[in-house]
Amino acid sequence: MGLVEVGDPEAFAALYDRHGRMAYSLAYRMMGEKQEAEDVVQEAFIKVWRSAGGYRVGRGSVRTWILSIVRNRGIDHIRSHATRGRMQDKVEASAPTFEPSEAFAETWKNTQQEHVREALNTLPHEQLKILELSYFSGYTHVEIAERLELPLGTVKGRMRLGLQKLRDYYQARGAAVPR
Amino acid sequence: MNGMDQERFEDLKDAYVLGALPEEERLEFEQYLVAHPDLQAEIEELSTIAGLLAFSVPEQEPSPELRRRIMATVEGEAVQPRTSRRSWLAGLWEAVGPRDLALAGAAILVIGLFSWSMLLQGEVRDLQGRVQSLQSQPQGPQMIALAGAGTEQGARAELVTLEGDRAVLVAENMPPAPEGKTYQIWVIKGDTPQPSGLFEPKGDSVAAVVENPVEGADAVAVTIEPEGGSKKPTTDPMLVGKVKA
Repeated sequence: MGLVEVGDPEAFAALYDRHGRMAYSLAYRMMGEKQEAEDVVQEAFIKVWRSAGGYRVGRGSVRTWILSIVRNRGIDHIRSHATRGRMQDKVEASAPTFEPSEAFAETWKNTQQEHVREALNTLPHEQLKILELSYFSGYTHVEIAERLELPLGTVKGRMRLGLQKLRDYYQARGAAVPR
Repeated sequence: MNGMDQERFEDLKDAYVLGALPEEERLEFEQYLVAHPDLQAEIEELSTIAGLLAFSVPEQEPSPELRRRIMATVEGEAVQPRTSRRSWLAGLWEAVGPRDLALAGAAILVIGLFSWSMLLQGEVRDLQGRVQSLQSQPQGPQMIALAGAGTEQGARAELVTLEGDRAVLVAENMPPAPEGKTYQIWVIKGDTPQPSGLFEPKGDSVAAVVENPVEGADAVAVTIEPEGGSKKPTTDPMLVGKVKA
Protein backbone atom coordinates (compact mmCIF):
# COMPACT_ATOMS: atom_id res chain seq x y z
CA MET A 1 0.00 0.00 0.00
CA GLY A 2 2.92 2.29 0.76
CA LEU A 3 4.15 1.99 -2.83
CA VAL A 4 0.69 2.77 -4.16
CA GLU A 5 0.70 5.92 -2.05
CA VAL A 6 3.89 7.11 -3.74
CA GLY A 7 2.40 6.44 -7.16
CA ASP A 8 3.94 3.10 -8.16
CA PRO A 9 1.77 1.61 -10.95
CA GLU A 10 3.18 -1.90 -10.45
CA ALA A 11 2.18 -1.87 -6.79
CA PHE A 12 -1.23 -0.63 -7.83
CA ALA A 13 -1.55 -3.45 -10.38
CA ALA A 14 -0.78 -5.94 -7.59
CA LEU A 15 -3.43 -4.28 -5.43
CA TYR A 16 -5.97 -4.61 -8.24
CA ASP A 17 -5.03 -8.25 -8.85
CA ARG A 18 -5.58 -8.99 -5.19
CA HIS A 19 -8.85 -7.18 -4.62
CA GLY A 20 -10.30 -6.59 -8.10
CA ARG A 21 -12.41 -9.72 -8.24
CA MET A 22 -14.02 -9.16 -4.85
CA ALA A 23 -14.66 -5.53 -5.77
CA TYR A 24 -16.22 -6.55 -9.08
CA SER A 25 -18.33 -9.23 -7.39
CA LEU A 26 -19.75 -6.63 -5.01
CA ALA A 27 -20.34 -4.14 -7.84
CA TYR A 28 -22.05 -6.83 -9.92
CA ARG A 29 -24.28 -7.76 -7.00
CA MET A 30 -25.28 -4.11 -6.69
CA MET A 31 -25.63 -3.17 -10.35
CA GLY A 32 -26.83 -6.49 -11.75
CA GLU A 33 -25.06 -6.07 -15.08
CA LYS A 34 -21.53 -6.29 -16.39
CA GLN A 35 -21.05 -2.84 -17.92
CA GLU A 36 -22.32 -0.82 -14.98
CA ALA A 37 -20.43 -3.05 -12.55
CA GLU A 38 -17.21 -2.47 -14.50
CA ASP A 39 -17.81 1.29 -14.55
CA VAL A 40 -18.26 1.26 -10.77
CA VAL A 41 -15.08 -0.77 -10.22
CA GLN A 42 -13.12 1.43 -12.62
CA GLU A 43 -14.21 4.62 -10.87
CA ALA A 44 -13.56 3.07 -7.45
CA PHE A 45 -10.02 1.92 -8.29
CA ILE A 46 -9.13 5.23 -9.90
CA LYS A 47 -10.29 6.84 -6.68
CA VAL A 48 -8.11 4.39 -4.71
CA TRP A 49 -5.17 5.32 -6.94
CA ARG A 50 -5.69 9.04 -6.49
CA SER A 51 -6.38 8.93 -2.78
CA ALA A 52 -4.24 6.05 -1.53
CA GLY A 53 -2.82 8.47 1.06
CA GLY A 54 -6.28 8.58 2.62
CA TYR A 55 -6.05 4.95 3.71
CA ARG A 56 -5.39 4.54 7.44
CA VAL A 57 -4.16 1.23 8.78
CA GLY A 58 -6.08 1.59 12.04
CA ARG A 59 -9.39 1.84 10.18
CA GLY A 60 -9.64 -1.75 8.96
CA SER A 61 -8.01 -3.64 6.14
CA VAL A 62 -7.17 -2.37 2.68
CA ARG A 63 -9.85 -4.71 1.35
CA THR A 64 -12.54 -3.20 3.60
CA TRP A 65 -11.46 0.27 2.52
CA ILE A 66 -11.62 -0.63 -1.17
CA LEU A 67 -14.99 -2.37 -0.79
CA SER A 68 -16.43 0.66 0.98
CA ILE A 69 -15.33 2.85 -1.94
CA VAL A 70 -16.87 0.39 -4.43
CA ARG A 71 -20.10 0.35 -2.47
CA ASN A 72 -20.30 4.14 -2.25
CA ARG A 73 -19.71 4.45 -6.00
CA GLY A 74 -22.33 1.76 -6.59
CA ILE A 75 -24.89 3.59 -4.46
CA ASP A 76 -24.13 6.83 -6.36
CA HIS A 77 -24.76 5.02 -9.66
CA ILE A 78 -27.96 3.42 -8.42
CA ARG A 79 -29.32 6.70 -7.09
CA SER A 80 -28.36 8.71 -10.15
CA HIS A 81 -29.54 6.21 -12.77
CA ALA A 82 -32.42 4.65 -10.82
CA THR A 83 -31.37 1.22 -12.09
CA ARG A 84 -32.44 -0.68 -9.03
CA GLY A 85 -35.59 -2.19 -10.56
CA ARG A 86 -33.88 -3.91 -13.44
CA MET A 87 -30.90 -4.72 -11.24
CA GLN A 88 -33.05 -6.84 -8.91
CA ASP A 89 -34.43 -8.83 -11.82
CA LYS A 90 -31.03 -9.47 -13.33
CA VAL A 91 -29.45 -10.49 -10.06
CA GLU A 92 -32.19 -12.97 -9.36
CA ALA A 93 -31.98 -14.39 -12.89
CA SER A 94 -28.20 -14.74 -12.95
CA ALA A 95 -26.54 -17.91 -11.78
CA PRO A 96 -23.58 -17.38 -9.47
CA THR A 97 -20.31 -18.16 -11.17
CA PHE A 98 -17.21 -19.20 -9.33
CA GLU A 99 -13.80 -19.58 -10.80
CA PRO A 100 -11.19 -20.92 -8.45
CA SER A 101 -7.79 -19.27 -8.49
CA GLU A 102 -4.71 -20.15 -6.50
CA ALA A 103 -5.51 -22.63 -3.77
CA PHE A 104 -4.19 -20.72 -0.81
CA ALA A 105 -6.02 -17.48 -1.54
CA GLU A 106 -9.21 -19.39 -2.21
CA THR A 107 -8.95 -21.32 1.02
CA TRP A 108 -8.94 -18.19 3.13
CA LYS A 109 -11.62 -16.51 1.17
CA ASN A 110 -13.84 -19.58 1.11
CA THR A 111 -13.54 -20.07 4.84
CA GLN A 112 -14.52 -16.48 5.48
CA GLN A 113 -17.36 -16.56 2.99
CA GLU A 114 -18.61 -19.78 4.55
CA HIS A 115 -18.71 -18.08 7.94
CA VAL A 116 -20.42 -14.98 6.59
CA ARG A 117 -23.06 -17.02 4.76
CA GLU A 118 -23.58 -19.14 7.85
CA ALA A 119 -23.98 -15.96 9.92
CA LEU A 120 -26.45 -14.51 7.42
CA ASN A 121 -28.39 -17.77 7.48
CA THR A 122 -29.06 -17.22 11.19
CA LEU A 123 -31.11 -14.12 10.30
CA PRO A 124 -34.86 -14.36 9.77
CA HIS A 125 -35.76 -13.58 6.16
CA GLU A 126 -37.44 -10.27 6.98
CA GLN A 127 -34.30 -8.96 8.72
CA LEU A 128 -31.97 -10.13 5.96
CA LYS A 129 -34.17 -8.57 3.29
CA ILE A 130 -33.99 -5.17 4.97
CA LEU A 131 -30.21 -5.36 5.35
CA GLU A 132 -29.85 -6.30 1.66
CA LEU A 133 -32.24 -3.61 0.43
CA SER A 134 -30.19 -0.96 2.20
CA TYR A 135 -26.69 -2.33 1.67
CA PHE A 136 -26.87 -3.53 -1.93
CA SER A 137 -29.72 -1.51 -3.40
CA GLY A 138 -29.16 1.82 -1.68
CA TYR A 139 -32.66 2.28 -0.31
CA THR A 140 -33.01 4.56 2.70
CA HIS A 141 -34.87 3.30 5.76
CA VAL A 142 -37.80 5.56 4.82
CA GLU A 143 -37.92 4.09 1.29
CA ILE A 144 -37.74 0.55 2.66
CA ALA A 145 -40.64 1.29 5.03
CA GLU A 146 -42.71 2.58 2.10
CA ARG A 147 -41.77 -0.26 -0.21
CA LEU A 148 -42.53 -3.00 2.35
CA GLU A 149 -45.45 -1.09 3.86
CA LEU A 150 -43.98 -1.26 7.34
CA PRO A 151 -43.75 1.35 10.09
CA LEU A 152 -40.36 3.11 10.06
CA GLY A 153 -39.75 1.90 13.62
CA THR A 154 -40.11 -1.71 12.49
CA VAL A 155 -37.53 -1.21 9.73
CA LYS A 156 -35.07 0.34 12.17
CA GLY A 157 -35.73 -2.45 14.66
CA ARG A 158 -35.06 -5.15 12.07
CA MET A 159 -31.84 -3.42 11.02
CA ARG A 160 -30.70 -3.35 14.63
CA LEU A 161 -31.62 -6.97 15.31
CA GLY A 162 -30.06 -8.15 12.05
CA LEU A 163 -26.71 -6.49 12.78
CA GLN A 164 -26.86 -7.67 16.40
CA LYS A 165 -27.36 -11.27 15.28
CA LEU A 166 -24.38 -11.07 12.93
CA ARG A 167 -22.23 -9.74 15.77
CA ASP A 168 -23.53 -12.46 18.12
CA TYR A 169 -22.64 -15.14 15.59
CA TYR A 170 -18.96 -14.18 15.70
CA GLN A 171 -18.87 -13.48 19.43
CA ALA A 172 -20.39 -16.88 20.22
CA ARG A 173 -17.51 -18.49 18.33
CA GLY A 174 -14.84 -16.23 19.80
CA ALA A 175 -13.97 -15.32 16.22
CA ALA A 176 -12.93 -11.97 14.82
CA VAL A 177 -15.20 -10.34 12.28
CA PRO A 178 -13.48 -10.39 8.85
CA ARG A 179 -12.23 -6.97 7.76
CA MET B 1 -36.28 16.49 12.12
CA ASN B 2 -35.54 16.54 15.84
CA GLY B 3 -32.14 17.64 17.10
CA MET B 4 -29.55 14.92 17.41
CA ASP B 5 -28.87 13.59 20.90
CA GLN B 6 -27.64 10.30 22.31
CA GLU B 7 -31.06 8.69 22.08
CA ARG B 8 -31.46 9.66 18.45
CA PHE B 9 -27.90 8.57 17.74
CA GLU B 10 -28.76 5.11 19.09
CA ASP B 11 -31.91 5.08 16.97
CA LEU B 12 -30.10 5.91 13.73
CA LYS B 13 -26.70 4.26 14.02
CA ASP B 14 -27.72 0.97 12.38
CA ALA B 15 -29.27 2.70 9.40
CA TYR B 16 -26.19 4.92 9.17
CA VAL B 17 -23.71 2.04 8.86
CA LEU B 18 -25.95 0.40 6.27
CA GLY B 19 -25.96 3.65 4.27
CA ALA B 20 -29.70 3.90 4.73
CA LEU B 21 -30.05 7.42 6.12
CA PRO B 22 -31.52 10.10 3.89
CA GLU B 23 -28.98 12.84 3.06
CA GLU B 24 -30.18 15.36 5.65
CA GLU B 25 -30.20 12.84 8.49
CA ARG B 26 -26.84 11.47 7.41
CA LEU B 27 -25.23 14.91 7.57
CA GLU B 28 -26.75 15.57 10.96
CA PHE B 29 -25.57 12.18 12.20
CA GLU B 30 -22.04 12.83 10.96
CA GLN B 31 -21.94 16.26 12.58
CA TYR B 32 -22.90 14.63 15.87
CA LEU B 33 -20.18 12.04 15.35
CA VAL B 34 -17.57 14.73 14.76
CA ALA B 35 -18.67 16.45 17.96
CA HIS B 36 -18.50 13.15 19.89
CA PRO B 37 -15.31 11.36 18.76
CA ASP B 38 -15.73 8.83 21.59
CA LEU B 39 -18.55 7.28 19.54
CA GLN B 40 -16.33 6.75 16.50
CA ALA B 41 -15.04 3.33 17.62
CA GLU B 42 -18.58 2.03 18.09
CA ILE B 43 -19.55 3.16 14.60
CA GLU B 44 -16.42 1.63 13.08
CA GLU B 45 -17.17 -1.69 14.76
CA LEU B 46 -20.77 -1.58 13.59
CA SER B 47 -19.62 -0.68 10.06
CA THR B 48 -17.44 -3.79 10.05
CA ILE B 49 -20.50 -5.88 10.91
CA ALA B 50 -22.52 -4.24 8.11
CA GLY B 51 -19.55 -4.74 5.76
CA LEU B 52 -19.93 -8.52 6.17
CA LEU B 53 -22.66 -8.35 3.56
CA ALA B 54 -19.98 -7.61 0.96
CA PHE B 55 -18.40 -11.01 1.65
CA SER B 56 -21.59 -12.88 0.98
CA VAL B 57 -21.85 -12.09 -2.73
CA PRO B 58 -21.29 -14.78 -5.38
CA GLU B 59 -17.90 -14.53 -7.06
CA GLN B 60 -17.79 -12.86 -10.46
CA GLU B 61 -14.77 -12.57 -12.74
CA PRO B 62 -14.11 -9.09 -14.13
CA SER B 63 -12.99 -8.90 -17.75
CA PRO B 64 -9.28 -8.43 -18.53
CA GLU B 65 -10.37 -5.32 -20.44
CA LEU B 66 -11.39 -3.68 -17.14
CA ARG B 67 -7.89 -4.18 -15.76
CA ARG B 68 -6.40 -2.72 -18.96
CA ARG B 69 -8.65 0.35 -18.77
CA ILE B 70 -7.81 0.99 -15.12
CA MET B 71 -4.08 0.48 -15.65
CA ALA B 72 -4.09 2.74 -18.71
CA THR B 73 -5.42 5.59 -16.56
CA VAL B 74 -3.04 4.81 -13.70
CA GLU B 75 0.02 4.57 -15.94
CA GLY B 76 -1.02 7.72 -17.76
CA GLU B 77 -1.14 9.62 -14.48
CA ALA B 78 2.01 8.00 -13.10
CA VAL B 79 4.16 9.28 -15.99
CA GLN B 80 3.06 12.89 -15.59
CA PRO B 81 6.31 13.91 -13.86
CA ARG B 82 8.13 12.93 -17.08
CA THR B 83 6.20 15.65 -18.87
CA SER B 84 7.76 18.26 -16.62
CA ARG B 85 11.18 16.77 -17.33
CA ARG B 86 10.50 17.22 -21.03
CA SER B 87 9.70 20.87 -20.41
CA TRP B 88 12.99 21.27 -18.57
CA LEU B 89 14.85 19.75 -21.55
CA ALA B 90 12.98 21.97 -23.94
CA GLY B 91 14.10 25.00 -21.90
CA LEU B 92 17.71 23.84 -22.01
CA TRP B 93 17.45 23.28 -25.76
CA GLU B 94 16.39 26.87 -26.21
CA ALA B 95 19.02 28.28 -23.82
CA VAL B 96 22.12 26.37 -25.06
CA GLY B 97 21.31 25.76 -28.66
CA PRO B 98 20.91 22.50 -30.60
CA ARG B 99 24.55 22.01 -31.69
CA ASP B 100 26.14 22.37 -28.20
CA LEU B 101 23.47 20.26 -26.65
CA ALA B 102 24.01 17.49 -29.21
CA LEU B 103 27.80 17.46 -28.60
CA ALA B 104 27.30 17.34 -24.83
CA GLY B 105 24.79 14.54 -25.22
CA ALA B 106 27.19 12.48 -27.36
CA ALA B 107 29.98 12.87 -24.80
CA ILE B 108 27.70 11.78 -21.95
CA LEU B 109 26.57 8.79 -24.02
CA VAL B 110 30.14 7.56 -24.61
CA ILE B 111 31.06 7.89 -20.93
CA GLY B 112 27.80 6.24 -19.92
CA LEU B 113 28.26 3.24 -22.24
CA PHE B 114 31.80 2.67 -20.99
CA SER B 115 30.69 2.75 -17.33
CA TRP B 116 27.74 0.49 -18.05
CA SER B 117 29.98 -2.07 -19.75
CA MET B 118 32.30 -2.17 -16.71
CA LEU B 119 29.33 -2.53 -14.40
CA LEU B 120 27.88 -5.42 -16.41
CA GLN B 121 31.19 -7.27 -16.40
CA GLY B 122 31.28 -6.96 -12.60
CA GLU B 123 27.72 -8.24 -12.29
CA VAL B 124 28.43 -11.25 -14.52
CA ARG B 125 31.43 -12.21 -12.35
CA ASP B 126 29.28 -11.82 -9.22
CA LEU B 127 26.47 -14.00 -10.61
CA GLN B 128 28.92 -16.69 -11.74
CA GLY B 129 30.24 -16.82 -8.18
CA ARG B 130 26.72 -17.13 -6.74
CA VAL B 131 25.76 -19.95 -9.13
CA GLN B 132 28.89 -21.91 -8.18
CA SER B 133 28.14 -21.37 -4.52
CA LEU B 134 24.54 -22.60 -4.88
CA GLN B 135 25.62 -25.62 -6.91
CA SER B 136 27.93 -26.67 -4.10
CA GLN B 137 25.04 -26.56 -1.52
CA PRO B 138 22.25 -28.64 -3.07
CA GLN B 139 20.30 -29.19 0.21
CA GLY B 140 20.79 -25.80 1.84
CA PRO B 141 17.96 -24.03 3.67
CA GLN B 142 15.42 -22.17 1.56
CA MET B 143 13.91 -18.87 2.57
CA ILE B 144 10.45 -17.82 1.45
CA ALA B 145 9.31 -14.26 2.14
CA LEU B 146 5.79 -13.84 3.48
CA ALA B 147 3.67 -10.93 2.32
CA GLY B 148 0.30 -9.48 3.24
CA ALA B 149 -1.42 -6.95 5.47
CA GLY B 150 1.19 -7.53 8.17
CA THR B 151 4.00 -6.25 5.95
CA GLU B 152 1.94 -3.14 5.27
CA GLN B 153 2.21 -2.47 9.01
CA GLY B 154 5.99 -2.85 8.91
CA ALA B 155 6.32 -6.54 9.83
CA ARG B 156 8.76 -8.76 7.96
CA ALA B 157 8.66 -12.54 7.96
CA GLU B 158 10.40 -15.41 6.26
CA LEU B 159 9.79 -19.12 6.25
CA VAL B 160 13.06 -21.01 6.55
CA THR B 161 12.78 -24.60 5.38
CA LEU B 162 15.36 -26.93 6.85
CA GLU B 163 16.43 -30.47 6.01
CA GLY B 164 13.64 -32.99 5.94
CA ASP B 165 10.23 -31.42 6.37
CA ARG B 166 11.03 -29.00 9.13
CA ALA B 167 10.51 -25.28 8.86
CA VAL B 168 10.81 -22.25 11.09
CA LEU B 169 8.98 -18.97 10.75
CA VAL B 170 11.15 -15.96 11.53
CA ALA B 171 9.36 -12.64 11.95
CA GLU B 172 10.47 -9.12 12.78
CA ASN B 173 8.50 -6.07 13.90
CA MET B 174 5.28 -8.01 14.40
CA PRO B 175 2.83 -5.89 16.38
CA PRO B 176 1.71 -7.54 19.64
CA ALA B 177 -1.45 -9.62 19.23
CA PRO B 178 -4.54 -7.87 20.64
CA GLU B 179 -5.69 -8.71 24.20
CA GLY B 180 -6.95 -12.29 24.38
CA LYS B 181 -5.58 -13.15 20.91
CA THR B 182 -2.53 -14.92 19.57
CA TYR B 183 -0.76 -15.45 16.25
CA GLN B 184 -1.39 -18.81 14.63
CA ILE B 185 0.56 -20.46 11.81
CA TRP B 186 -1.24 -22.45 9.10
CA VAL B 187 0.15 -24.87 6.55
CA ILE B 188 -2.22 -24.92 3.60
CA LYS B 189 -2.49 -27.99 1.42
CA GLY B 190 -5.11 -27.90 -1.29
CA ASP B 191 -8.22 -26.52 0.36
CA THR B 192 -7.21 -27.35 3.91
CA PRO B 193 -5.43 -25.02 6.31
CA GLN B 194 -3.75 -27.10 9.04
CA PRO B 195 -3.18 -25.41 12.42
CA SER B 196 0.60 -25.44 12.76
CA GLY B 197 1.60 -23.62 15.92
CA LEU B 198 1.03 -20.49 17.96
CA PHE B 199 3.43 -17.69 18.77
CA GLU B 200 3.62 -14.37 20.58
CA PRO B 201 6.12 -11.78 19.41
CA LYS B 202 8.51 -10.82 22.19
CA GLY B 203 10.94 -8.03 21.41
CA ASP B 204 11.82 -7.12 17.85
CA SER B 205 11.96 -10.61 16.41
CA VAL B 206 10.52 -14.05 16.96
CA ALA B 207 11.17 -17.53 15.62
CA ALA B 208 8.48 -20.20 15.76
CA VAL B 209 8.63 -23.84 14.73
CA VAL B 210 6.09 -24.77 12.04
CA GLU B 211 4.49 -27.86 13.52
CA ASN B 212 3.39 -29.51 10.26
CA PRO B 213 5.56 -30.54 7.31
CA VAL B 214 5.69 -27.91 4.59
CA GLU B 215 6.80 -30.24 1.83
CA GLY B 216 4.03 -30.48 -0.74
CA ALA B 217 2.12 -27.60 0.87
CA ASP B 218 0.73 -24.76 -1.21
CA ALA B 219 1.30 -22.00 1.29
CA VAL B 220 2.07 -21.01 4.85
CA ALA B 221 0.08 -18.24 6.49
CA VAL B 222 -0.27 -16.41 9.79
CA THR B 223 -3.55 -15.17 11.29
CA ILE B 224 -4.65 -13.61 14.55
CA GLU B 225 -6.82 -16.05 16.49
CA PRO B 226 -8.40 -16.29 19.92
CA GLU B 227 -6.03 -17.44 22.70
CA GLY B 228 -5.37 -21.15 22.43
CA GLY B 229 -5.76 -21.06 18.64
CA SER B 230 -8.53 -22.11 16.29
CA LYS B 231 -9.26 -25.25 14.32
CA LYS B 232 -9.96 -23.18 11.23
CA PRO B 233 -8.74 -19.66 10.46
CA THR B 234 -11.27 -17.04 11.52
CA THR B 235 -9.52 -13.89 10.27
CA ASP B 236 -7.71 -12.66 7.19
CA PRO B 237 -4.11 -13.81 7.01
CA MET B 238 -1.64 -11.19 8.23
CA LEU B 239 1.08 -12.92 6.22
CA VAL B 240 1.09 -15.47 3.43
CA GLY B 241 3.98 -17.19 1.66
CA LYS B 242 3.58 -19.47 -1.31
CA VAL B 243 5.59 -22.65 -0.82
CA LYS B 244 5.28 -24.35 -4.21
CA ALA B 245 7.07 -22.75 -7.14
